[in-house]
Order: sequence, then C-alpha cells, then structure tokens
Amino acid sequence: MKTKPASDRALDAAVYGLLLLAASACLFPFLNVLSKSLSANWAVTSGRVGLWPVGFNLENLFYVVTDRIFLHALGISVLVTAAGTLGAVLFTAVSAYPLSKKHLPGVKFVLIMYVFTMLFNGGMIPSYLLIKQLGMMNHLSSLVLPGLINVFNMLLVKNYFESLPESLEESAKLDGASNLTIVLRIIVPISAPVFATVSLFYAVAFWSDWFHPMLYLSDPSLKPLQLYLRDIVLESDTSGQNLDLNIDQLMNISPEGIRNATVIVSTVPILLVYPFLQRYFIRGILVGSVKG
Amino acid sequence: MQSRPSRHPRLSAIKRNYDLYLLMVPGLAFLLLFKYAPIYGLVIAFQDFNIFKGIGGSEWIGLQQFHRLFTSHDFLVVMRNTLLISLYKIVLLFPVPIAIAVLLNEVARMWFKRAVQTIIYLPHFLSWVVVAGLFVNILSPSTGIVNHVIQFFGGGPVPFLMDNHFFRSVVVVTAGWKEAGWNAIIFIAAIAGLDPELYEAAKLDGAGRVQQIFMITLPGIASTIVLMLILRIGGVLEAGTEQILLLYNPTVYPSGDVLGTYIYRVGLGSMEYSYSTAVGLFESAVGFALVLAGNYFSRKMTGKSIW
Repeated sequence: MKTKPASDRALDAAVYGLLLLAASACLFPFLNVLSKSLSANWAVTSGRVGLWPVGFNLENLFYVVTDRIFLHALGISVLVTAAGTLGAVLFTAVSAYPLSKKHLPGVKFVLIMYVFTMLFNGGMIPSYLLIKQLGMMNHLSSLVLPGLINVFNMLLVKNYFESLPESLEESAKLDGASNLTIVLRIIVPISAPVFATVSLFYAVAFWSDWFHPMLYLSDPSLKPLQLYLRDIVLESDTSGQNLDLNIDQLMNISPEGIRNATVIVSTVPILLVYPFLQRYFIRGILVGSVKG
Repeated sequence: MQSRPSRHPRLSAIKRNYDLYLLMVPGLAFLLLFKYAPIYGLVIAFQDFNIFKGIGGSEWIGLQQFHRLFTSHDFLVVMRNTLLISLYKIVLLFPVPIAIAVLLNEVARMWFKRAVQTIIYLPHFLSWVVVAGLFVNILSPSTGIVNHVIQFFGGGPVPFLMDNHFFRSVVVVTAGWKEAGWNAIIFIAAIAGLDPELYEAAKLDGAGRVQQIFMITLPGIASTIVLMLILRIGGVLEAGTEQILLLYNPTVYPSGDVLGTYIYRVGLGSMEYSYSTAVGLFESAVGFALVLAGNYFSRKMTGKSIW
C-alpha cells in the first residue's frame, strides 16, 4: 500500500481533531451537569466536579423521581406528546397524500396555501387571542390542536409519496382498487420510514414545547414537564420548595442538587429513544430534503 | 370500466377522485382555523382593539400604532438587539454546519463518522428549557465550572447571564451548541448527492484532498448553501424568542430584548394587544419581503430558488 502524502496526513489530523473537539463540546455541558447531580453538595459548591462525580450519591436523583409534582408534570407531558404525535402524524399524512397527486385540479393552489403560512404568519398576539376566543385557555387541547400540522413535516411526507414509483399505484388501479384501498394497503405499509421520521419530529416538538404552555396554561394542575422544569431550574428562587429533610439528606440534597438532577432526569426519555430512532430520521430527511 | 370522455375533463377528474379531496378536508380546516384566522387577526394592528368588543366592534385608527412604534425609544433598542443577535448568529454560526459537513465527508472510518454524528445531533433534541438549564448551571458565578476555571487562572467570577457585555455572546453560543450539528444534516445530504466521478476525475488531474474540497465539494453544494442562507436571512428579525425568554431577566433587557420578547412583554404583560400586533406585523412583513427578495436574487444569480 502506498503511504499517504504528508499533506493528507496533516489534513486527517485536522479533520479528526476538529470533529473530536465539536463532539466533546456537545457532550461537555451535559456530562458536567450529570456528574454534579451525582455529587455531594460540598464538592459542587467548591467547584471540584468536572466530568466525574465527587462524593457519589444518588439522593438528588431519588428525590426528583419520587417527587409527586414532578411525576404529575411528567404524566401531562407524556399525555400531550402521545396524543399530539398520533393526531399530528394522521393529519399530516392524510393532508400530504392528495398534495402528492400534482395533476389533480386545485391541488397546486392548496399547496401554495400551505407554503404561504411558512413565509408569513399572524404571530404571537393574534394566535393568543384566537386560543382565548376558542375557549381553549387552560385546556390541554391548546397544546395539541395548533401543532397538528407542521408544514415542513408535511412537505417531507409529500416528497416521500412523490418519490414512490407510479407503477405501484397503477397496477392496483388496473385491479380495480379505489384510492382509499391504495392508500391503506399500499402507501401506508411502505411509508414506515418517513412516518417514523415525522413521528420523532412531532414527538420532540410536543415534548419540548415550553412557550405554548407558558402562554396558554395558568392552572398549576395542568403544568407539563417543561413548565415545571423552568420553575425549578431557572427561577433562582427555590424558597418555595418545601425541603423536608433529615440530617443525612442535608449532606447531599440541596436546591442546586435538585436542579441538576431535574435537568438530567428530564433528558433521560429522549436519550433512551434517540439511538433507536436515529437511523430513521437520517433516512427520512434525506428523502425529504434532497429534492428540495 | 371505461368512463365516457367528458366535456369537462377537470370536473370528471374531481368526481373520480372525490375521496382524495375528502382527505384534504381535515388539513384545510386546520389551515383556516390555526393559520389563516391569526393572519386575519392582524387587522387589530390597525385598530384600538378591545377584547370585549372584538374585531368587529373595535375602533379603526389607521396607522397610529405604527407611528407610535417607529417613534418610540424602545423600538430602537429592540431593533438594535434583534439585528445584532441575528447577525452574530448568521456570521458566526451559519458557516459551522457547512464546515462540519465538509469535515465529516473527509472521514474514512465509518464508526468515527457515525459516533460524531450521533453526538452532535443530540443537543437538537433537548428542549430550550433544558439547554438553558445546562448553561445556567455551567455559567453560574458561584458553582459553575466556567467560573471556577476563570478563578483558577486568577480572574474574578463573571455573572454571564446578568451582564450586558456577555449576554448576547451567551445567546449566540447556546444557539450554536444546540443547532450547529443538526443543521449540518442538509449539507451532509447535499454532499452525499455529488457525483463520485467528479472526485475520480479530479484525482486523475492530480488534485490533492484540500483542492478537492475547494474545487468540488464546496462548489457542488453552493446552491444548497445559497438556499439555506436565503431562508436564514428571511428570519433575520427572528432572533430566538423562546431561547431569550428563558435566558434573560430585567437586568439584561438593554442588550437582550428582541422583537419577539418585546411583543410578549408588551402584548401579554401589559395587554397592549393592538400595539404589539403592529410590532408582530412589522416583523412578519419584513421577513416575508426579505425571503422574496433573496429568492429573486438567488434565481438570477445561481438559477436555484425555493420555488
């Protein structure tokens, strides 16, 4: 085998070095907070915790995952995410399919109506007033219904449908299948990758949403996880927290420790599903975007 | 069964595919209610809107809200912050995903490439609340690792999120941390679509790998770069409302208040619906005009455009 020229070796070193740097930068804040959540109070406040826990303890994490209000907020988020994702994928798929039939009269106009809303929208105040008008304030539907179709996701699905070979549908038509039979029997089964992709996108959007619950919900019993998180993590005032602790716990539990632990616990769900979904979203996005 | 040739081919196409049109109904209902109704709602920017009287009953006052907007001191500050944060984000962050995609393309070891991709996409999937939580944590003046490092080297603690000198930098860095890796996907896809024969031909002509990057890879994805830049510039007044609402506090309003956060504060905090809708309309209209203009110039210069 030929030895590589020196310039190539230098390039390789730069390439691997820079990418390692980027990846480490992405991991560092997360690992730092993870090890802080697993460390003793004295180690955190004296700044000894870097990437490895010092004075290892699980009590902060334990406190968070047994906290009733946390679990309630988590439940609300799971509910909104599940209902929202299911509804959104259904709405999106159903709307995208007819739009992939370009020859149908009127389809182009409807497509323009969708795309226009990506470029121009009513903005925060009119949307807020609409939700108010519809009586959806302090109701979980205000988090689900306005998110049912994301136009970008819909175009992704539409492009996928367009990339399917036409002969597939034509042969079914010759056999006398109706449009609906074709959709249910042929299109849906072979569209699993793109459905998985948009499911992930919708699930992340519903799960991560902080802004809309903040706008539309004031009832504390409806607080989803992100609102709860924001109260605990970013409101520097944790005096409202009723820490009823014994002496042993005081060594390890503190508002700071609970903050760290809450951040960690709330990222776990996405960390758990992420590796399984990764191959789908890469493939799905390739199909959806390359055509542009 | 062969249907008779109709005198109205369009009508018969509609009849034959009535079920496909039925499928469009839920989406259209959604579109009208949640997208177009708020666009109609923008008319309150020209009213002295009263929530009890509604759009029909409120008084029309023409351009008064816009006059107030363009003559207010707040607007100057907010505009300046919006443009500064947005321009920093474009100038400093837009090239990063392109660089990442080009670098990844030079990696021969598949396991390394996959591992790096997995890691750099991850922050995109964290919510802004979590990202803000992570950075509040590592930037904390008392317990944050960044300040412990600064102090180790003899510096004093820096309250990054309370200091008007640092706040914008924090906004730019956290936005880069969250999205730079994810935004590389589109460029990675574009590079994957390049014809391998181009590289073969370049090698035969004696081009080194660095030359291949500048002669083939970058020119090959130039149209994608232009397209993404247009979209980005179209959103120049969208400096990151949710992000900034989570990170800022009254101390850093002078450097951190942007159009979106201003609309929120004035509109929902002080219930000035008409005035803040006027601010929002201004934001949407400028963004729309910028995308149209960018698209026009892109089509003239590169022959590629969004539509």
